[in-house]
Amino acid sequence: MRSDDGDVEAGGVVGLVHQHFKLIERLRVWENVLLNREPRRGWAIDVAAARERVRALAARYGLAVDPDAVVETLPVGIKQRVELLRELDREPSVLLLDEPTAALAPGEIASFFTTIGELARNGTAVLVVTHKLAEVTAYSQRVTVMRAGRVVARHATAETNAADIARAMVGGEVPALADRTATATAPLLEARGLSARSATSALDDASFEVRAGEIVGIAGVEGNGQSALADAIAGIVPFSGELRFAGEQLRASESPAVRIARGIRVIPQDRRHEALVLDWNVRDNVALGRQRSLPRRAFADAARAVIERFDVRPPNADAIAGELSGGNQQKIVVGRALASAPKLIVAYQPTRGIDVGAAALVQSRLIEARNAGAGVLLISFELDEIFACADRVLVIANGRFAGSFARADVDRGRIGALMAGQA
Amino acid sequence: MSAVLRTRTVRDLLVVLVVVFGVGSIAMLLAHVSPIDGFAQLFDGAFGTPEEVGETLVQAAFLLFPALGIAVAFRAGLFNIGAEGQLVLGGFAAGWIGAQLPMPAYLAIPAVLIAGALAGGAWGAIPGFLKARFGANEVIATLMLNYVAVLLCTYLVTGPLQQGGSGASETAALPKAAQLPDLIGLLADPHPTLAYVLTPFVIAVALAFVLRWLLFRTVFGYELRAAGDAPEAAKRAGIDLGRTALLAMSISGAIAGLGGATIVAGELHRFNTGLSAGYGFIAIAVAIVGNLDPRWIIVASIAFGMLQSGGIAMQAEAHVPKEVIALVTGLVIIALAGRRVVATRRTT
Repeated sequence: MRSDDGDVEAGGVVGLVHQHFKLIERLRVWENVLLNREPRRGWAIDVAAARERVRALAARYGLAVDPDAVVETLPVGIKQRVELLRELDREPSVLLLDEPTAALAPGEIASFFTTIGELARNGTAVLVVTHKLAEVTAYSQRVTVMRAGRVVARHATAETNAADIARAMVGGEVPALADRTATATAPLLEARGLSARSATSALDDASFEVRAGEIVGIAGVEGNGQSALADAIAGIVPFSGELRFAGEQLRASESPAVRIARGIRVIPQDRRHEALVLDWNVRDNVALGRQRSLPRRAFADAARAVIERFDVRPPNADAIAGELSGGNQQKIVVGRALASAPKLIVAYQPTRGIDVGAAALVQSRLIEARNAGAGVLLISFELDEIFACADRVLVIANGRFAGSFARADVDRGRIGALMAGQA
Repeated sequence: MSAVLRTRTVRDLLVVLVVVFGVGSIAMLLAHVSPIDGFAQLFDGAFGTPEEVGETLVQAAFLLFPALGIAVAFRAGLFNIGAEGQLVLGGFAAGWIGAQLPMPAYLAIPAVLIAGALAGGAWGAIPGFLKARFGANEVIATLMLNYVAVLLCTYLVTGPLQQGGSGASETAALPKAAQLPDLIGLLADPHPTLAYVLTPFVIAVALAFVLRWLLFRTVFGYELRAAGDAPEAAKRAGIDLGRTALLAMSISGAIAGLGGATIVAGELHRFNTGLSAGYGFIAIAVAIVGNLDPRWIIVASIAFGMLQSGGIAMQAEAHVPKEVIALVTGLVIIALAGRRVVATRRTT
């Protein structure tokens, strides 16, 4: 282990599961799990033994996975199991997990922590880095709160609660979300039998509508058709079926530029690759998507407006986007999307991996856009976010819509079951 | 993507200097020549007299055109390795047209230069189109088209379009009206006239500033750089990546082709199949050392122009093999590109 300064000591093997998986996409599951520890027969790899070892490991920890599947074909939730199995095969005495439940359904989260708890009881030290307070309070024995790179609080979990931990994370009161004032009016986006396929997921025969002045939440586990849905609306992938926007038929062949011109803004899931030019400064990034309509002289003012409205730090339009924190990068992406009075906002994981304060700010701005009459399609893997923001909740599983709930009668247990594919 | 080849630190300049002087010295020692003598001859050969300064700037101009073209493509994330072919084809078109048309200078010179730019642009458009339409890898397409261009020109000039009966692999001489003024004359001339605005070096430097404006002050340049630096984000911001690739490669090829035309109109005064001393390849190093920024590419082209013109003197006077220059050029590319790759890997 290395650190810039100070000492890190660990007895025995340290296992590390990254939030962003470190897997070799083109190799099979067993090849990834046993990389550099392959069982050998003479000079060759003993494939049968390797397969059996992975199968036994998976059975032992209740992490079902096909040893022969090629990793790039697997949904994110399964990839994470592969990542975890790889570390478990090394029989670590210390296991570090970075945001391990980001890609799991509520039911899967519980069984995941059962597995992890088992490990801990058998003598493994487990360190979970997470922003989900419910998981901290439900499954941990001790909690350490960090803010801006420093430890700000340390408690036995039994002696604290979620509200105190949140206050310590933010360094004050967690900002309340904006009130919802107006109510939904006319249908804005209508989908009938919409099917589409993105690189990582497929959407199958979906029908729904988003009205002006409402937030529709799409609840689901990653890889169940969300990216196909977002990409189809953005004009990145073609679709079949019918998609109407503001009374007009959207053509499957029309480009992202046309969708933008219609007033549709998509906040992509991956801000670093799909939204920002990391080598550019904030000013040029804020203009991205509006480069044809916004005169160059107006770039600076547009950037300043986003920086002020979203409290971007440092408040410097010349700062390089790639050097900002994730939260501030996301503020730029969301700020840019909301800047030109869009009619429809598709927000795909708009608060992924950012701190509680920044997340509350982003969510409030989305609610304000809704109050101002925009339609918002909020695609999130976090139920808490959807429950906090959405007027209606649609559940997506295996590329199909599995249920619809009004804000007043959301049922967490029922939604969780639908997300896991249980009818 | 193109960011991999761009640098931000002064350290890279130091790397270049260390490679040039360090490796250059070792190579000279191996050739049993004093490095001090060798480098002294290099500088003296490049800058000793007005004529030598002129030759250095001529060489710089011939490198500057393809380097600027390469920079436009690289900025768009397209590794155009085909500047050599685009330059040769541009030179052929310029030489052939120039020898055909008896015209006054104010028509002949533009006709020759435009012909070169169009031919080079068309040659660059081929891999651009293949990339846009079929996603074909532009590195392979441009590299292969180099050979096609050279062989095509050789065939045309010795076959169907042969002029005169000499059987030599060159076109007839350009009429005086189609020739560009001589930069060496400019530097030796105590009273230079406005005509020298049309020397290759002056055209190339002016073009560099036009390109800088295009890349950094126009919507087209903004979209081109976005496509190069973050293609996924650019696509989602409504930028047509295919159209950008086609345009960037066409412009890139046109600039290289213009370079070929200036070699024909300014130096050889006819097309010859050997007109390029590998300018299109050396220009890759010039573009990278110049940080893909037209202003710095001007500086880099002068430095490499110095190596070209001074290298000849170094060989003649200090008996250092001219290959030392090629060695140093290659190592500069490897050192700069390699350092960036290492830096990128560390940060991700």
